[in-house]
Amino acid sequence: MRKVLAIITLVIILLIPTFLFDGIMPSIGDPNSAPNTHVSDYYIENSVEMTNSPNMVTGILADFRGFDTMFETTVMFLAGLGAVLILSNRPNIKKRFIIPRNYIKQRPNIGAPRYKTINKDVMITLFEPLMMIYAAYVYFHGEISLGGGFQAGAVLGLAYIIDVMIVPGRRKKLFALDKGNALSIGGIGTFIYALTGILTMTGGGLCLEYDKLPFGLSHAESHSAGILMIELGVTICVMATIITILNAIMGRVRFDDDPIKRREDA
Amino acid sequence: MPSLFLEAVLLLILIGITLTIIFGKDLLTVTIVYCSFSFVTMFLYIVMGAPDVAFTEAVIGVVSTIYFIMTLKTIRRHTK
Repeated sequence: MRKVLAIITLVIILLIPTFLFDGIMPSIGDPNSAPNTHVSDYYIENSVEMTNSPNMVTGILADFRGFDTMFETTVMFLAGLGAVLILSNRPNIKKRFIIPRNYIKQRPNIGAPRYKTINKDVMITLFEPLMMIYAAYVYFHGEISLGGGFQAGAVLGLAYIIDVMIVPGRRKKLFALDKGNALSIGGIGTFIYALTGILTMTGGGLCLEYDKLPFGLSHAESHSAGILMIELGVTICVMATIITILNAIMGRVRFDDDPIKRREDA
Repeated sequence: MPSLFLEAVLLLILIGITLTIIFGKDLLTVTIVYCSFSFVTMFLYIVMGAPDVAFTEAVIGVVSTIYFIMTLKTIRRHTK
């Protein structure tokens, strides 16, 4: 049954681009196609004044093509969901914690520093706030500089990853998210994006038509506010997806090479 | 012309890195070399004039390397 379904899906995937979109989509490299004749020039000439975003990439990605980006965010969320569904299919998953429970008991001097020099935990403690501030910078300057929601979310996810690497007892972790919570936060990020579209529709416009945001802003301000709102959704979704995949992989990690655990086994 | 020369050098480095990844025996080494692949690709994007793609590549290269190393911890093999 699975093989039949897979073959049917493959046939559909192969047939749709060849027959259904034939004549609608331009062929690759066609000099008379719409992007090569007038669409690119239109974006280059009008992007700055229409979207109030000096970075043309952000202007196209978040404003002209906002509907595409909404479903790209959904695809990111689905990637995290798929990773959880595939990787967490283990019956005794709850017994396998990230850190063995008797890890802290076996080391009475757990709070004391082991080395006199700067070690990993100190480096993480120093770096983590800087990374978060940098992520906020990347997010808020997404329309001016390079970067944007995706990069800011990835840097935030990295900050969480290095926070996980801290040995317990040395310092309290900033925040801990299990798989379900991280996945829910990813869904919230996607929802914020869709909510922006709904807000513009309640203002009487089309979906993601930022001029119709019901805040009483001017043309430039409403476009900046709309881009910031959808990039907030993208940031949250990407950060939560990275944390979700990390948790899904870490749920399967066996700490066999842990020296204390190995001594206990022997 | 100097930009073309730079691109050629970076692409040659990429070919060398790819061969190292294909024929490497230690999986951890291969993972680190894969990280350097992403690093060189970042420079290639900068030379081609796409700094935002380069930024994304740098961040995602680090994240994927961490994923690979975590996955290496879940399996027991460390050589091919």
